[in-house]
Amino acid sequence: MNFLTLAAKNLMRRRGRTLLTVMGVAISISVLFSLLALNSGYEMGLNREMNSLGAHILAVPKGCPYEAASLVMHGGVIPKYLSDNDLEMVTSIEGVNIASPLLMYQFYLKDQNTGERVPHIVYGIDIDEMKKLKPWWKVEGRFFEDNETKVMVVGRGLAEYENLTVGQILPFGPDKEDFTIVGILGRTGDQDDQFHFLPLSEAQRLDRKEGKITTIAVRVDDLGRIAEISREMEKIPDVQVVTMTQVMGTIMNLAASARSLLLTVIAIAMIISAFGILNTLLMSVNERTREFGMLKAIGASGLDVGKMIMAETLIITVAGGVIGVVVSIGGSSIIEGFVKSMLPYSPSGSFIHISPELVGFSLLFSVGLGIVCGIYPAFKSSRLTPMEAIRGGLE
Amino acid sequence: MNKILEAEGLTKIYRRGREDIHALNEVDFSVDEGEFVSIIGPSGSGKTALLNVLGCLDTPTKGSVRLNGTETSHLKERELVRLRRENIGFVFQQFYLIPTLTARENVELPLLFSHKNGNESRIDEILDMVGLEERGDHLPGQLSGGEMQRVAIGRALINDPKMILADEPTGNLDSLTSLMIFNLFRDLKERGLTLVIVTHNMDLAKQAERMYTLRDGQMVSCEKLTSPGNGVVEGRR
Repeated sequence: MNFLTLAAKNLMRRRGRTLLTVMGVAISISVLFSLLALNSGYEMGLNREMNSLGAHILAVPKGCPYEAASLVMHGGVIPKYLSDNDLEMVTSIEGVNIASPLLMYQFYLKDQNTGERVPHIVYGIDIDEMKKLKPWWKVEGRFFEDNETKVMVVGRGLAEYENLTVGQILPFGPDKEDFTIVGILGRTGDQDDQFHFLPLSEAQRLDRKEGKITTIAVRVDDLGRIAEISREMEKIPDVQVVTMTQVMGTIMNLAASARSLLLTVIAIAMIISAFGILNTLLMSVNERTREFGMLKAIGASGLDVGKMIMAETLIITVAGGVIGVVVSIGGSSIIEGFVKSMLPYSPSGSFIHISPELVGFSLLFSVGLGIVCGIYPAFKSSRLTPMEAIRGGLE
Repeated sequence: MNKILEAEGLTKIYRRGREDIHALNEVDFSVDEGEFVSIIGPSGSGKTALLNVLGCLDTPTKGSVRLNGTETSHLKERELVRLRRENIGFVFQQFYLIPTLTARENVELPLLFSHKNGNESRIDEILDMVGLEERGDHLPGQLSGGEMQRVAIGRALINDPKMILADEPTGNLDSLTSLMIFNLFRDLKERGLTLVIVTHNMDLAKQAERMYTLRDGQMVSCEKLTSPGNGVVEGRR
């Protein structure tokens, strides 16, 4: 027999109470674990998304620049446009390496499976500039040429969802024109998987937006000159400039406020569970004062009694920690869905990042919680003289 | 005869509210090594207070206790723990067994604190000595009152003490079971243990070799019993 088995057997005396306390700890550790997993995954997801855009600077129509930037990344409609003229002026700025015009809009199609109206996002692109901007793009079939008509390339995710194949004819646009799918983009793991890509001119024609551009994605030669080039671009009357660092910063700020709310929730959960544990322990210490007197009479020192109480506490919190971590790993997709609905902006794809370090930290935290909660009851019971204990004199 | 436990002028005063309670008043007490002594007296006479002071569970307000030649009044708690562990086994009226430990584990418990873990044959020997060799794997809830007290006695014996101090060990038991417990105590005496038993059961107290009588915190008599155990021996197993 050792202290751990003795402690475990003591805990078995009040199974229901022990179980409830363990569940309380499990819930708070699971909240902690999920939020930390999210925290590290969120930034990674955001960076991944920024990189997959391939651009350093976005030129957008004057208005709300951050909303525009977010829409560019996720797709959506901005009701204001730039012109071909603006594109030429941007291209001519010294230091601009790539200036890729984009026109994007969305329209609704009836889903073949459910019959619901689902948004589809159309990207009109200049294929040569785009290939330079996103050199990692691969295609099954082929890319279209800029001057082709009634052709499109679709993202892998979209193709899988709608069962599209290369060579298939897809009735498309307001007049249900027959578009040929010439290529399916290789999986990119980001938002590009969900789009219809059309030659810019075709996209403009289809939605009657001739000469209009939603945004210009710019890549510069020298990252050090981003600020200078941005200032040059700002001189174009219609253009507002958003650099990716600005977008990142804004999104991170928004996310930070949401995260501080979640942190508060965690802190409260921790405090509640700490008081729960403390309450349980003090109750069980008070119930057993006479027994502690007996233990001292049969040779236990104060330290021994304290050690026993501490072992009981640690069993509770570590069991709770293990259950909490296992449950959060198992239910991470549910938690992610919940958190995504709370954050103002979240990267596409899974962004809960579970690492061994995080598992270790959470378990360590549960040990710490046990030590913090156990120290007072352990101290209190160890200080009892045998006589006080036998008389039940713990006030 | 070597005096294993010797107390002089023991006074114990408890405060209850504004009132001072003289639980013990100038009590002298001594036990020889290997002797079987009982302490008797009505409730409230200070029997338990005396036993606790003698067992170094409590400190006297005045007076001295010498345990196996060591004066205990100046010892620190840590030293008292060791002294108790090496010399005294306690038996209580309420048994104080841990309900989720088997009889065997309850007996083993003190070894955890004296760091002599894992001496299985010693545990077997003790279980055998208290007549529980068949019941070792039972939980206290599955044992009778007498069996539970035997477990508690086994637990008191596991650290090889020189002396057993028992506080009303038969207080929760019927008379036949009490008799069997007393017979066990006499067996232990024959094995050379010193026994100090507090009880208010006169028949049982008379089984000892010497009987102290306590009243209102004062030792009123110390009687030597010439033929201990007469007339009750047939109750023995």
